[in-house]
Amino acid sequence: MDINIRITGEAGQGVQTTGDLLSRVFSKAGLYVLSTQSYQSRVRGGENSYDVRVSDHEIFSSRSDVDLLVGLTAETTAEQLGFLNKSGIGIMDGDSIDGVAGIDMKAIAKESGGTAMMVNTVAAGAVMAVTGLGTGMLSELLREEFRKKGGDVAEQNIRCAEAGGRAVARHAGKIGPLTPGDAPKYLYSGSRAIGLSAAVSGVKVVSSYPMTPSTGVFTYLAGAAKKYGIAVEQAEDEIAAINLVCGAAYAGVPAMTTTSGGGFALMAEGISLAGMMELPVVVFLSQRPGPATGLPTRTGQEDLLFAVHAGHGVFPKAVFAPGDIKQAYDLTREAFRTAHRFQSPVILMADQFLTDMQKNMAELPFESDPIDRCIVEAPSQDYVRYAITDTGISPRAIPGGDVFVVADSDEHTEDGHLTEDLEVRVRQQDKRMRKGNEMLKEEYSPGIYPEPADEVLLCWGSTYGPCREAVDKLRDGGRSICMIHFARVWPLDGDRIKKLLQGRRVISVEGNSNAQFATLLKQAGALADFETILKYDGLPFTADEIAGRC
Amino acid sequence: MAGTMKMEPTAWCPGCGNFNILASLDRAIEKKGIDRKNLVLVSGIGQAAKCPHYTDANVFNGLHGRALPAATGIKLANHRLDVIITSGDGDMYGEGGNHLLHAMRRNIGIKVFVHNNQIYGLTKGQASPTSEKGFVTKIQVDGVLSEPVNPIAMAISEDCSFVARSSSVIPGHLEQMMIEAMICKGFALLDILHPCVSFNKINTFKWYRERVKELPADYDPHDRVKAFETSLKWGDEIPVGVIYRSERKSFEELLPVLSEGTLLESLSK
Repeated sequence: MDINIRITGEAGQGVQTTGDLLSRVFSKAGLYVLSTQSYQSRVRGGENSYDVRVSDHEIFSSRSDVDLLVGLTAETTAEQLGFLNKSGIGIMDGDSIDGVAGIDMKAIAKESGGTAMMVNTVAAGAVMAVTGLGTGMLSELLREEFRKKGGDVAEQNIRCAEAGGRAVARHAGKIGPLTPGDAPKYLYSGSRAIGLSAAVSGVKVVSSYPMTPSTGVFTYLAGAAKKYGIAVEQAEDEIAAINLVCGAAYAGVPAMTTTSGGGFALMAEGISLAGMMELPVVVFLSQRPGPATGLPTRTGQEDLLFAVHAGHGVFPKAVFAPGDIKQAYDLTREAFRTAHRFQSPVILMADQFLTDMQKNMAELPFESDPIDRCIVEAPSQDYVRYAITDTGISPRAIPGGDVFVVADSDEHTEDGHLTEDLEVRVRQQDKRMRKGNEMLKEEYSPGIYPEPADEVLLCWGSTYGPCREAVDKLRDGGRSICMIHFARVWPLDGDRIKKLLQGRRVISVEGNSNAQFATLLKQAGALADFETILKYDGLPFTADEIAGRC
Repeated sequence: MAGTMKMEPTAWCPGCGNFNILASLDRAIEKKGIDRKNLVLVSGIGQAAKCPHYTDANVFNGLHGRALPAATGIKLANHRLDVIITSGDGDMYGEGGNHLLHAMRRNIGIKVFVHNNQIYGLTKGQASPTSEKGFVTKIQVDGVLSEPVNPIAMAISEDCSFVARSSSVIPGHLEQMMIEAMICKGFALLDILHPCVSFNKINTFKWYRERVKELPADYDPHDRVKAFETSLKWGDEIPVGVIYRSERKSFEELLPVLSEGTLLESLSK
């Protein structure tokens, strides 16, 4: 059992409110939920949609086809009709159109004693009825949700939900029908998982300039600031944000900035500063299609080569790109750990698809558990910040202790002061680059699903979910195919990866127009020939699409 | 390597105003009794931005124009550190102008000492944001066409805790201004006029010496309108001293997560 519900409407109509509410109810009912959003860059009007996919087994991706379409306007409903399955049902606010049952949601809301804004609750009630679960659990959730607001708000909403259900009584139970299950009941978005993990890992300073689709993480951290003790400051621009974070890291606390394409471009010089000063900074980069302003609210994987090479000069950095929400939580911690262990910038990459995605899972750890910042406790009086070592990692002290800590963006001597001694320059550059070799010694294996096979869908980052489901479909059809997913995309151990890929048909599945990850692997000598399945229309891959193009 | 000690100031030209600024800074640190181990000197890029290397302190010599955001990050991480920026007019008023505006809005407890010689020295003699109109250089061949920045007026408009002007040509006064900036709680802007012996042949030591004039003893720096009027005075007489003071709370005092101690300390609990 696997159904896809799509709520569609204009910006400002509450498409997201309805979708969030449904995601929570289905999760509460113990069903597996995965929700995704598609929206335009505007505050009002246009066409937004919110998909809630519900199943009795774990799901990893979104679908393009729809079983239950809920339209808040006639125009947006008509736009989506082509995606409605033959056996699907459409309901919309207002008069019926071809194949879609119209119910007057605004009138229902008013008759039930609610306000015009409660069409969202009417719509949610209708969905609960059509999927056979009924409005009981929705009512419980509304009661919990609105208890704080007091007055009659909760009861008004409940009456609206029930009336919504009654209005579609003739379709009751026609989709699914769903029955409560035992799926884990904690619902997380990609943004929330990343923000939570940063807070738990001990991030103390967060500074960003708001930019879709990275703002969710920034917002989460602002909300969590008091609980975890984090200074969250909106910077005047991205240049300020990255430099502020560099200052905080120098002073000894884990620090992070969040951004997207154009903002990340502004940060490039600051990332180079972190490379030169050897500062542990974490940059969260949520991708959207470019160039320039591109498609501000859509998804893409176009910034991998840019991220890997971001910053002038040559210095080591790590780039991580988690595949799903749980991995996003785990790798966020790993990003902080790696940044501190190697005193280097780490870029954590996601995209609109993954940051906005919601999925239910077992509860993620939320107790504060700061990472080891690898700070030298009692430096001796002959301490120097950039001591030459075999690993390239110099003991890191922080200001305010017993020794001076001198950090310079110029090339510097071991004690941190600027120099133009060219032999010293070569020694320091070699020292910094040795840290890159050390990074490669970290234990890491790409995710192979379900087991090595003749054909490989090669992917990185958020393409994990659609590729995984595509592999299931193709294997059901008898193909010897697997997915190999990379969540640590830089640095790369070319020799090891070559052994893994050798002798297999490799198809690189990427959300860009120039196969960036395959290009990196080719550069690293890990891959000779490859085929591609590329997508750059601003929408995420679906499993059907990948399977159909293999 | 015998630990981390200051460098000799070898990058400055003989007669440069930076020498007096450095000497005043050292005396102010001693007189104010600042623990140098707890002091971070932050700068960007330029000849003035090398100043932190030439005294004993923790140093963050960052990117051009970005001293303020870096200093803000340092202060947020550990607000018990004394954080002083010592950098030039190009760094603070040009490349870093936007940051200055927003640091003043925050009124964060950073002390900013701007070595203002009205010229770009390190890039060899182009106009700076404070160069006077008509100032001719190899780039501004018809003379500067834009109005110079008035940092004092800007800081008053943002209601900074402490806004002052001094000059390297009056080192005793400069030292006193530095001490007063260090004492104030919020954001302090100290604009320090000084000659560039190599590239600025107009605003020379003599030029400044003839013009700087201390504010009268009965001057009230809390009078914002009067302070603004004072900030507009520039010409045969250039007023020096504490031009404006505000009792506005500092950013650190207002940020709730800093009320229990520093964020750095919270990690070792």
